[in-house]
Amino acid sequence: MYNDEVMDRYQNPVKYRRMENYNIKIDEASTTCGDKIILYVKTNGGKIEDMTWQGEGCILSMVSTDLFCENSVGRDIESVKGTDDLKFVESFPVKISPGRINCVLLPLRALRRGTKEK
Amino acid sequence: MISAHGRKKDFPIFRKKIDGKDIVYLDSTATTQKPKKVIDAIVAYYEGANANVHRSVYKLADEATELYEDSRANVANFIGSKQNEIVFTRNTTESLNLLSFTIGESLRKGDRILITSMEHHSNILPWMRLEERGVRLDYAGFDDEGHLNIEDLKSKLVKETKIVSITHQSNVLGTINPIEDIAKIVKENGSTFIVDAAQSVPHMPFRVREEYDFVAFSGHKMLGPMGIGVLYGKYDLLDSMPPFNRGGEMIKDVDFHKVIFEDPPVKFEAGTPNVEGAVGLSAAIDYLKEIGMDEVRRHEKRLTSMTLKGLDDLKSVKYYGPRDPDQRGGVIAFNVKDVSNVKRKLEGRNIKVDHFYHSHDIATFLDERNVYVRSGHHCAEPLMRTLGLSGTARASYYVYNGEEDVEAFIRSLGEIDVQR
Repeated sequence: MYNDEVMDRYQNPVKYRRMENYNIKIDEASTTCGDKIILYVKTNGGKIEDMTWQGEGCILSMVSTDLFCENSVGRDIESVKGTDDLKFVESFPVKISPGRINCVLLPLRALRRGTKEK
Repeated sequence: MISAHGRKKDFPIFRKKIDGKDIVYLDSTATTQKPKKVIDAIVAYYEGANANVHRSVYKLADEATELYEDSRANVANFIGSKQNEIVFTRNTTESLNLLSFTIGESLRKGDRILITSMEHHSNILPWMRLEERGVRLDYAGFDDEGHLNIEDLKSKLVKETKIVSITHQSNVLGTINPIEDIAKIVKENGSTFIVDAAQSVPHMPFRVREEYDFVAFSGHKMLGPMGIGVLYGKYDLLDSMPPFNRGGEMIKDVDFHKVIFEDPPVKFEAGTPNVEGAVGLSAAIDYLKEIGMDEVRRHEKRLTSMTLKGLDDLKSVKYYGPRDPDQRGGVIAFNVKDVSNVKRKLEGRNIKVDHFYHSHDIATFLDERNVYVRSGHHCAEPLMRTLGLSGTARASYYVYNGEEDVEAFIRSLGEIDVQR
């Protein structure tokens, strides 16, 4: 599971930074495994202009979050939120064992939870 | 005798290959594998003696009841108690909950319960629930090497302390607590003393002592089936306690508005019991007796020593608990330092100097090499908080493990360094 692509992104994430002019900030923590992420989202008319993150956790959740931020830029936020869980996991660069699916889903769930209609 | 290679031949599961390779099972602290003898005993029960126990008057039911009660006698003999002091439960958790909902119910506002910071959740949560009624829960701490702080324990043992419940061996640190000394201290204070023996009865010689009021352990952690546990209790105490669950089997007489309960231990075994489980546990005890508990302990100590030496050579691995194998069981919690994460290390103001890989990554990495370890908080979150961690990986041994398992474990861990 830990090939060069995954490890390289873990060690050199491209979207790991605080954002100042965000519209949405989401704190997500997985209490069972200790992973914590903050997502910063800047939107413009329903489109994601930029998304960055900070946090700590397992390699899979960190890499998934970084990829999620990068791949979501320019997309419609509702369509990102509507991504099918299974498809999302399948799009991860390596095959995920069933016990680790929640790690990969962390950022998608964070975005869904953090942007729920109040 | 257990050879240096363990007793895998007695355990059918080790014939299984995953991805064409042998499995290296290092998670016996969570649950143990089952020897053929245990599996055979369960099959033999269903093929030759199954009927409901303690109820019917025909011969087959007598046979089932006899098997069930013989199993109880075997458990009693194994830990040195009387047969009527052994209550069958589902597991350690249920044994401790039984106590919380019986003796715990007699506690009043201002009373205190003393446990330790190294308890499994099953020896925390049954007591924490009593805080709602104004009972105070105290925790005795442990030092940097995972030794229980006896002075701290003594200082928290006050006249209001009605119950003291302590793990004999930590399921994370591996620490073997000086339970006999603690028992004396507790009894001088007049408190009820409970031993969580889930990790000790399976791994070392264990005898019930006068100072122990209750002892809880699980069958599945000692080669027996899942769903059968044990609560030892002094007969007089069991006799004076209210029942836990109510229903079939546990009564002498029921009128429309009145009930006379059975005597212990049946009083605490409402409903059809897990006869298969009791028979399986009894077979597991026979198997362990055949080896000898001194030998079980000697074997695990040897594998533990070997592991700690191997881990000492791996610069990036940090393990927890006592350094001295005499003071710990065959369970080793550890983390692996992540020295590679340069960018975030520079950037992260809140990243600790020792930044560890997440324990799930370590477990997955080892899983890819067919080495099976547990990861996470091991149902001991207060302990993790004390250590300032969100989790650890954990390897643990039993009678089937051998030196080749230790070697595979250390070799695979070494590859983490090489890979990065």
